[in-house]
Parts: sequence; C-alpha cells; structure tokens
Amino acid sequence: MSITVELPSLGESVFEGTVSRWLVSEGEMVEVDQPIVEVTTDKVDAEIPAPSAGVIEQILVSEGDVVEVGAVLARIDPDAKPAPSPSAAEPASVPAAPAAVPAAPPVARPEAGPERGVAATPVARRVAEEAEIDLREVEGTGSAGRVTKDDVLRHQTGGAAPSQPAATASEATAAAPAPRPPSPAPQATRAPARPAPSFGYELQPGDRVIKMSPMRRIIADHMVYSKRTSPHVGTVAEVDLSRVVALRSQHKKSFQEKYGTSLTFLPFVVHAVVRALRDFPALNASVVEDAIIEKQDIHIGVATETEKGLVVPVVRNADRLSLSGTAMAIDELSTRARNRKLTADDLKGGTFTVSNPGRQGNLYGFAIINQPQVGILRMGEISKRPVVRTLEGEDAIVIRTMMYLALSYDHRAVDGAPANGFLYRIRELLEAGEFEL
Amino acid sequence: MDGSSPAPGPRVEWLGELRYGEALELQQAAVADRLAGRCPDRLLLLEHPAVVTLGRSTRPENLRETPDALRRRGVDVFEVGRGGDVTYHAPGQLVGYPILDLDALDRRDVHDHLRRLEAGLIDALEGFGLPARRVPGWTGVFVDRARSASPDGPERKIASIGVGIRRWVTFHGFALNVSLDLAGFDAIVPCGLHGVEMTSVAREREREGARPLPREELDRALREAVARSLGSRLAPDSTPEA
Repeated sequence: MSITVELPSLGESVFEGTVSRWLVSEGEMVEVDQPIVEVTTDKVDAEIPAPSAGVIEQILVSEGDVVEVGAVLARIDPDAKPAPSPSAAEPASVPAAPAAVPAAPPVARPEAGPERGVAATPVARRVAEEAEIDLREVEGTGSAGRVTKDDVLRHQTGGAAPSQPAATASEATAAAPAPRPPSPAPQATRAPARPAPSFGYELQPGDRVIKMSPMRRIIADHMVYSKRTSPHVGTVAEVDLSRVVALRSQHKKSFQEKYGTSLTFLPFVVHAVVRALRDFPALNASVVEDAIIEKQDIHIGVATETEKGLVVPVVRNADRLSLSGTAMAIDELSTRARNRKLTADDLKGGTFTVSNPGRQGNLYGFAIINQPQVGILRMGEISKRPVVRTLEGEDAIVIRTMMYLALSYDHRAVDGAPANGFLYRIRELLEAGEFEL
Repeated sequence: MDGSSPAPGPRVEWLGELRYGEALELQQAAVADRLAGRCPDRLLLLEHPAVVTLGRSTRPENLRETPDALRRRGVDVFEVGRGGDVTYHAPGQLVGYPILDLDALDRRDVHDHLRRLEAGLIDALEGFGLPARRVPGWTGVFVDRARSASPDGPERKIASIGVGIRRWVTFHGFALNVSLDLAGFDAIVPCGLHGVEMTSVAREREREGARPLPREELDRALREAVARSLGSRLAPDSTPEA
C-alpha cells in the first residue's frame, strides 16, 4: 500500500499553490518529515514534508503546476527498499539540503548513464519524452546541471544554451542533494504520458504552459458535453428597461437601507424569467432518455464569475420569492461564491439558468446550456440607445435604457414557437415594470 | 493552552551585520532548533552587507547589471533556493527573520503570517509619523501616498516580504528600507515589480519635512520600533480572561 502526499491546507485563504521545486526524485528514499517538495503561494515558500518514511514511488505533479489544496502530489511506498545504488543510502539519511553555503564546491554532473540517470526536471522529462529527445544529448543549465524544460526546447530548436546571469563562483548550489540515485522504476511501470489531443501544436520557447485546475477541467468537460448533447438554438430579444430603471431609482435607497444590499437589474430579470417559466413550462424541463420531463419546481441557477472560474449557485423555489426575496437570495449566494463558501447543495438542482456576464463589451452572446436543463438566458450590456416610439400619434426617436436578452434552448425538447413566446413574455414583463417592492 | 500566564512574544535578537550566506545557515539551524523544541520563537534582526539575491524564478530582465559588474562594485550576488524574484539588501536596511512555530501558536495560516508582518511594520512606520499601507494583491508595505506629503507618482515600496515555511516553522521574513542608499536598487527590478519605486524611511522623512536624524539614530529607532510592534503582532493570540 502506498501513502499519498497531499497538499495540506496552508491557511484559510490559501486554495492552491504552485509546485516550485521537487527536492527528491522518484525512487529516492525519504525519512518521515523530510521536506520533499516546495510549493509557493504568494510570497510564501512552503516545504511539504513526507508523511512517512519510504521510497518515492511516483511524482504526480510537475514543477510549475498549480495544485489545489488536497491534491495528491506524490506517492510513497513505505515498505520499499531504496534503490540498489552505492549512493542510495546517503540521501536517505541526509534531509534535502536547503540553499547551502556559497562556498560549496561545484556539484558534479551525474554520470551519463541510462537516460533515467540524467538529472532533469519532471517537466523536462515529459517534454523530452513527447518530442522523443534523448535527455543525454541535452545540455542542462538548471541547478547542478539539471536539464530543464527550456533546455529541452532549446535542444529541439537547435539553439545554444544562454549564458546564465547567475552561473558564477557563488552559485549557491541551491540544488537538492546530489548525486541522485537512479530511479529503480523501469520504463514500463511509469505513468503513461497523458494523451491530450494537441492537434500537432509544438511548444515554442517562451510559451507558458498553464495546466488546467480540476475546476477548469470540470467546466471544460461540461461545456463539451453540453454542446455535444443539445442542439443549441439562439434567439435574441431587445428589451426596454426604462420602467425598471425608474422603479430601481425610486427604491434604490430605501432598499439599501431595508435590506443592506444594493438593488441590481439581475433580480428583475430572474423574477421575470420565473413568471415566464410558469407560462411556458417547456423551458423548465429536462430530457431523460426518450422523455421530456417538465418540472413543477422552479430553481434558477445564477451564473457567477469568481476568481476561480464560473460557478452557478441555485436560487431554490424562486417562484415563491418576492422581488426583494430574489434579490436577497442572489446577493447571499454571490457573496458566498466570492468567498468560496458555497456548498455542493448550493450548486445542485437548477431547472433554468440566467447568466449575467458583466456590462462592458457584451452587446449580447449565447451561453451554453447548463445540463440537464434545456434553456439559458444571457443578459447583454445595459445601455442607452436611440429607439423609435410613437408618442401622441407621432413617430419619434427617443433615448431609452436598453438590453439584449439572448436565449439558448435545446431544440431536442423545445421548438421555436414556445421559445420565442417565452422570451417575448420576459420582455413584456420587464417592459411593463410591474414589480412589487 | 493553559491561559494562566501571559505568554511572551518571540525573543528579539539583534545580530548586527551578517553576510547573507551566514544568515541563511543561521536560519536553517534556528529552524531545526525550533522544530526540535530547543528554543522559543525568535525574531532575528540584522543587516546584510550589499547583496543581490536571485530566486529560482528570477527573470533575467529583472537584473539590470551582470553579476560580474555587480561584484566589481562590491555587491555580492547570491542565488537562493527559494521562489520569488530578485531582492537587494545593504546596510541601512533592517532585515527581520522571525523563526516562529505557527503550529504551536495555533496559527496554521501562511497568509495570516504575511499580514501580521505587514501590520507590525505598518504600526512601526505609523508610529514614526509615516503613513503606510498594504497594496491589495502585492505583498509588502507601501507608503500611503494619499496621506503623504507627495501623493503623486508611482507606488512607493518601503518594505519587502518573503517567507519560507518548514513544517509550520517560519523563516525568511522582511526587509525594511531605513537609511540605505536607494541607488543600490537601480541594479534590479525589485521583486520583478515594474513601475514601483523603492523608498526608505529617511527618504520619506525628507519628503515629509521631518527633522533630519543621524543615520545611526534612525536605524536604532526603527529597530526598536519594529521589535516592539512586530513582537506584539507575532506574540501568541491572547486568550480572553476567564
């Protein structure tokens, strides 16, 4: 049984860190509490200690990777014996030396042996493997002559190693203990390189490789799944918000005083959507195998942008809420989203989604349906525009506060007529401006 | 926690001028001692002879002179095994290395530690009549320009912060510019922050039109102020009286 090394919690506001340096390599023997990897967050370098003595069986994240708290960094085999190497016993008893004295003698490059014996960063190894480059042919410029990703890329493009600004007499040999024992793991047992479809893109020098966080991965998978599952149709309505604007200005101050939160346009839109869903239940549905399920309950997901990515907390039973109740519920959820205090329950069970992606540079756009729902409404920017109105029998150009509302719907379940009817109903409700405050 | 007697803050030690490499060794030993429970929490205060330190992620463009050119000017160049970018130390800069066991203090939160360092330095500067603040998103202490005599221009950084943690024992810490010659910073882009100007207590006092103090007096005054304010910020959190 192997023991996993996870990124521990480093504080309440610390959610992830960047792997800055591995202090050990696969196959190396470690003692309990020996620092095995450094993780950087803001201006803090934290050394992560081994939770148990044993042999580093597998290193699962690379230098430069951003990892979340709780992510597995490595596996340790507590029962394994160190690699049969003359130098293997030594690093086992010497904790990884941190940045050492300036007078340390230059560290000899490890013997050019089998390729696994070449000192190289995990990223360099992966890049070399993908590009089928023999690491023995690459000149290492990292600490203690370690081969870095840049070295591999440079080798690939035929460039020469740059003169290092810091490779001088006082080079601090920030290196981990050397020489390293060669990994006992034979090629065959190594984790296979991840078969990510790269469509032939070759890494170029200077490219920044940003590994997807687990959250980004989930969002990406969901988007692909939704696009593949639902044939999306888009339709747009133009809404005159003048009455809502007037209502909002009239109640803004008292609302703030009464409820301690500002009154935005979003609750008006959500409230109108809820009422329209009552009239058009086809939009409050899911496709399950060969049936369409129309739901009685209305739970509205409100897409919210957070530092960490997109989340869609759900306003439950939104049809039972007043406008102010809706506003409060949205405010509470978005506050918790920003503070990352949402629970799994907050994100479950939505029956329709409203997305408000911000005001600027967003005339309108079509969102991807949040599965297993069949529709999503996306708010465009709110701005004053000249529009034609008939005033006292005369056509006139007047200035009104306008917004485009874009509906994406699943054509498997919903046809154009009910979708357009639904969108038109939302428009009517917002333009009538009959909201109780 | 027994809560019976008020626990003291870290033991403050003034080490004088110490070469960067020696100070690093001393810190390593101090961390090992603290981990083994052989010493209490400590706040090491010292100065370094002129030195440029390079982190592993230092980008070449953040060093404006070659290491050789720096050495010819008597500035040491030191490559540190830490993350982060380039820093500059010299006499007239108060360097502090708190060696604290955050686990024993029941404060297992690296950001909390950073914020305490900033708060302690801000207290000390404010006590000196210099308006100081944090800048959200950046670690370190900056002059609060809006409350200063010269509110215009770029952000002015007065103290840099960078921390290491080994099994919840802290090392590295802060560097507060007191009276050093700021021209030394011209060789580097501090912490890789372009568009930030480095400043010092002496420079800001000049701006504020404060009475000039002899350098040694200023250095000592700041050392004492920091020892006091940071000492209390880093002390164990007081438990309410029963």
